[in-house]
Amino acid sequence: MIEALSAMGSVFTDPYLLTLIFATTVLGVIIGVLPGLGATTGAALLLPFTLTMEPVQAIAVLSTIYVSATFAGSITAILINTPGTSAAAATTFDGYPLAQKGEAGRALGIAVVSSTVGGVFSVIVLCIAAPLLARVAYEFRPPEYFALTIFGLSMLASISAGGAVKNLIGGIFGVWLSTIGSERVTAIERFMFGNYDLYEGLSFVPVFIGLFAISELLVQSKMVNKVVETVALKAVKLPTKEDYKRIWKTILRSCGIGTFIGVLPAEGATVASMIGYSEAKRWSKNKEEFGKGSVEGIAGAEAANNAATGGAMVPTMVLGIPGSGTTAIILVGLMVHGLRPGAYLFTEQVEKVYQIFGSMLLANLMFMAMGLYAARVFARVSLVPISILWPIVFALSVIGAYALSQSLIDVWIALIFGVIGFFARRHGFAVAPIAVGLILGEMVETNLQHSLKMYDGQWWMILAQPLAAFFLILAFLGLCGPYLYGLITKHKD
Amino acid sequence: MPLTGASESIIMKKKLYVIPLFLTLFSIVVIFLSLQLETSPQMIVGDSMQARSFPIFLMVINLMLVGILSFQFYKTYPKEVELEKFPTWSSMLLFLIFYILVTVSGDMFVAIPIVMFLMGLTWGQKKIWISITNAIVTPLSIFFLFDYVLQIRFPRGWLTNIYYG
Repeated sequence: MIEALSAMGSVFTDPYLLTLIFATTVLGVIIGVLPGLGATTGAALLLPFTLTMEPVQAIAVLSTIYVSATFAGSITAILINTPGTSAAAATTFDGYPLAQKGEAGRALGIAVVSSTVGGVFSVIVLCIAAPLLARVAYEFRPPEYFALTIFGLSMLASISAGGAVKNLIGGIFGVWLSTIGSERVTAIERFMFGNYDLYEGLSFVPVFIGLFAISELLVQSKMVNKVVETVALKAVKLPTKEDYKRIWKTILRSCGIGTFIGVLPAEGATVASMIGYSEAKRWSKNKEEFGKGSVEGIAGAEAANNAATGGAMVPTMVLGIPGSGTTAIILVGLMVHGLRPGAYLFTEQVEKVYQIFGSMLLANLMFMAMGLYAARVFARVSLVPISILWPIVFALSVIGAYALSQSLIDVWIALIFGVIGFFARRHGFAVAPIAVGLILGEMVETNLQHSLKMYDGQWWMILAQPLAAFFLILAFLGLCGPYLYGLITKHKD
Repeated sequence: MPLTGASESIIMKKKLYVIPLFLTLFSIVVIFLSLQLETSPQMIVGDSMQARSFPIFLMVINLMLVGILSFQFYKTYPKEVELEKFPTWSSMLLFLIFYILVTVSGDMFVAIPIVMFLMGLTWGQKKIWISITNAIVTPLSIFFLFDYVLQIRFPRGWLTNIYYG
């Protein structure tokens, strides 16, 4: 424990890491306020820049982008009614109306404080829960891992907008993508069409850059000529005593909700903020204020979405199951830098793990300072014309896709997946399930193969393992629960 | 001739099934391709799966999900998808131009500024000098960052040959 705490503390005394986290927080806030960019796209674009860094520095950069961009989405949500990230969508419900009443500074102050409390709370939970979960995960064998990944895939049903069935189809497509290349046991080439660049399978980085950054570029091309109305902001105001009295319970509740939702495999900040907001409304004594500039609405959404960031890192680091699109990229970052996610990470690389946690904690404190003192400046960044911004994103995307393997095929893969991602989104299919499916695909197949070998081909023996059965039941309930509940209530009526 | 109510509804119904049809065809093609894969001897695979089994299993699940999706579409008509405007199609065309330019010149740093410049214009940038500056400064900065800091070398082509010598 002392070793862990000193590792966390070392982040605060390492000048290089401090500078790096400060610079990344500034960058993260800029990425977060630019409509369309967001934490996931930002992390995808920055991943290639971390290649030559030390593992801790690289993951610190990615996780700092994650927490700071998640927070910064609220700045544009409040000032221009456009959430910088999808996680800040719920903040627009009350943030913008409050800003329109001439209280933009107060709205931002509440968002900053709530986000920081949510973020710090979730990092503390991460520090406590991750090692405990790692101890449990240490006992996992292939059947448990197989069942767990199935549970993770089942959670894709609600990972983002698009509808359960569409998300599952996206997830299946992602899993299928993971089968491209040489099969691991038999070395049989699958779906390569004679292209030996694909022998090792599709590289995650170009696929992610395509799905998140390039497809977003095409989506943003629809926004040309869109007029943005801004609300004047003089200075960010810290919440008053009255405000604190009204929001402290909401913040605490949302901290719990956000962290819990984040911990669930494949759930993320967007879902957390929506639930945080609706729960704030449900428990509020001033329900009529919601939608018209309620401070509880802003606090509920913001505390929850930042609390989800730490929560989402738990399954990512302990089980290798990403909690969102951004954590999927962080997971790839861990793998690229030789940190294999899983229980062993917490026994063999404890120091590095806690340095990463420390970086997240520091990033939460840094974005608070930036939010309070520089939100006005950052808000102006959001007005950069898209005809300048997105050509830059294009350049970063193609060069970033090239950088990892220094192969042009990765650039073509990124462009192809950009177009695939765009058409998928055009028809209501979210891209995050494809990304998560791609990551989990290998785990599903490999663990299924090992389980079958363990039980001499008797697949039903997987169900006889208590923990595996538990995860599979959870997966079944996650998929069919809402329909069964609907049927039951209909029958009762 | 304007569409009558009946013919309009037939077109709507046809449109309704484009996505499920595409997904069904995709699944069938993958199953077909999977069936063409070699099988491994029993001594290698043992009690586990053949390489073809997993993709087939996935596509069977996919077909089931497509069935549910079609039923959902039938019950509730999905939102109409708006046709894309010029900047979207032109951006995709620019990707193709990027591919051709890289293939011809062998140099990403010839293709990137050209595509960035054209993208700026097609996205409504009226001041040409801004697009030109952006198209030159950004790739140059990224190039030197990658070259000096990250020490990543780019494919040799018209411009990079001059730099690398």
